[in-house]
Amino acid sequence: MPCPSGERIIAGKELMISARGRKGDRKPQLYRSVIEDVIEGVRNLFAEEGIEEQVLKDLKQLWETKVLQSKATEDFFRNSIQSPLFTLQLPHNLHQTLQSSTASLVIPAGRTLPSFTTAELGTSNSSANFTFPGYSIHVPAGVTLQTASGHLYKVNVPIMVTQTSGRAGILQHPIQQVFQQLGQPSVVQTSVPQLNPCSLQATTEKSQRVETVLQQPTILPSGPVDRKHLENATSDTLVSLGNEHKIMPEVLLSHQESSHYVSLPSVVFSPQVSQTNSNVESVLSGSASMTQNLHGGSLSMSRHGALHQHMTDTQPHILKNRMYGRDSVKQPRNIQEPSNILVSKKDSNCQVDLSIQVTDDDINEIIQVDGTGDTSSSEEIGNARDVDENELLGIIDTEDLKVLEEEADSISNEDSAANSSDNEDSQDIVEEDPLNSGDDVSEQDVPDLFDTDNIIVCQYDKIHRSKNKWKFYLKDGVMCFGGRDYVFAKAIGDAEW
Amino acid sequence: MAYQLYRNTTLGNSLQESLDELIQSQQITPQLALQVLLQFDKAINAALAQRVRNRVNFRGALNTYRFCDNVWTFVLNDVEFREVTELIKVEKVKIVACDGKNTGSNTTE
Repeated sequence: MPCPSGERIIAGKELMISARGRKGDRKPQLYRSVIEDVIEGVRNLFAEEGIEEQVLKDLKQLWETKVLQSKATEDFFRNSIQSPLFTLQLPHNLHQTLQSSTASLVIPAGRTLPSFTTAELGTSNSSANFTFPGYSIHVPAGVTLQTASGHLYKVNVPIMVTQTSGRAGILQHPIQQVFQQLGQPSVVQTSVPQLNPCSLQATTEKSQRVETVLQQPTILPSGPVDRKHLENATSDTLVSLGNEHKIMPEVLLSHQESSHYVSLPSVVFSPQVSQTNSNVESVLSGSASMTQNLHGGSLSMSRHGALHQHMTDTQPHILKNRMYGRDSVKQPRNIQEPSNILVSKKDSNCQVDLSIQVTDDDINEIIQVDGTGDTSSSEEIGNARDVDENELLGIIDTEDLKVLEEEADSISNEDSAANSSDNEDSQDIVEEDPLNSGDDVSEQDVPDLFDTDNIIVCQYDKIHRSKNKWKFYLKDGVMCFGGRDYVFAKAIGDAEW
Repeated sequence: MAYQLYRNTTLGNSLQESLDELIQSQQITPQLALQVLLQFDKAINAALAQRVRNRVNFRGALNTYRFCDNVWTFVLNDVEFREVTELIKVEKVKIVACDGKNTGSNTTE
């Protein structure tokens, strides 16, 4: 379906599917308003402290990024009124050709381009627009862009994108928009997109701010050009991204691991991308969590076929922006997480092993009852006497059994008797703990009990109880169920204890 | 002073993490971060009081209850939350509730 010329793609507003209904629409607005209020409220504080405005912007970027990442609210930025619309107008004589060659990197010095993938543009209609908030995009001629489906399109003419609105601030919003392009990139994408920060610097943004932005898009660059830009960049994240990129090309060149397309929500889609809407929708719905994308290798595989068919059969003429920023963020996380899991598992295993060893020792000690052949120390014999003296019977303890048996069999040693007094106190303590250890039934339950993913933070108007029937009258609450947030003004509940 | 209760939410935690990052990079002082959090407390309290208007009903089984320092902490099991638009079921949920009658005096977390 060809894109009509001059078609403007609004930043995701019309395309994003709200999975939440009314509530979902309001919640992002609420969060955004809170963020705005806080930032504005502390602006003076920052000024008084002599801290640069950039730091405040960084804080806002970081905050928004984290919120979006955690909740994956695809409509979060949709309600943002601050994301600028950005129109990319391609020349009319733009021709796209499918090329299977590796991506060529063309990046003008000092200008970096946000990552994006271009959808196939119809030959009949060579102009297409896409909005890309906060970015100035300059795609010089000769750049090969890679579509989500893996097709490469070589841009034969320069593409100039001008920023239509002044506010380049909220870069994450489009980035955060969940959009997973399915399909396997057959070729490494141009590295153009990646270095957003640089471009931002060129325009209005500063490098620090870009850091946060950078974290999200991870474009699959081909090595050298990226590194050059990385060098230009000042943020550390760029370096990390660079490392990421080292891995990327290999993956990409290997064709296809779409699993690396963990995408962050892409920026823009043409409303007319009806053909791809189904994919987008499915992607959006499927990528509710970022991790899904990472593990969505198979998903991508399946979609690739559909999308590919799309591209080849219907030839949608759309530009798709795609941020692969998550890769850089997620991969380290994923790498870290397993290690954490491994560590924890190791710990648990070690603990288990130790416990097993202990019991083994006890069992061995029980078996070795023979007074002459026993390996127990004299100290234990002394303990046996303490047992007798204190008459701490009833404790079914392996240690005590052994002690009793030894006491019955062995002949007392004067040495042990001398030591018994010293051991007595410690032995009493040791013996008394097992005595009381069984009194608390739910000792271990409490810490685990209160550790849950689902939590509600609120205020109570009234808590009522009648026998074991409880009534809760709550207000002004924020609920978090498995990462998803809800809010309420009032909540009324019943429970039975 | 508003409740610091809401710092343990997605919004609050993400703000704290962001502030921690800035502190780590020494772009802000911890004192300033604290001021930001206080501002957040005010903003979130005000936002919840004024901008949110929906109601939720829920029903479940009460596992534990605790009332200490005027803060109720409940753990409920097998709870259903009903809103006009949707129904949410969770196996376990913890509710932390501060006194709603007098929101100006407590600063519990």
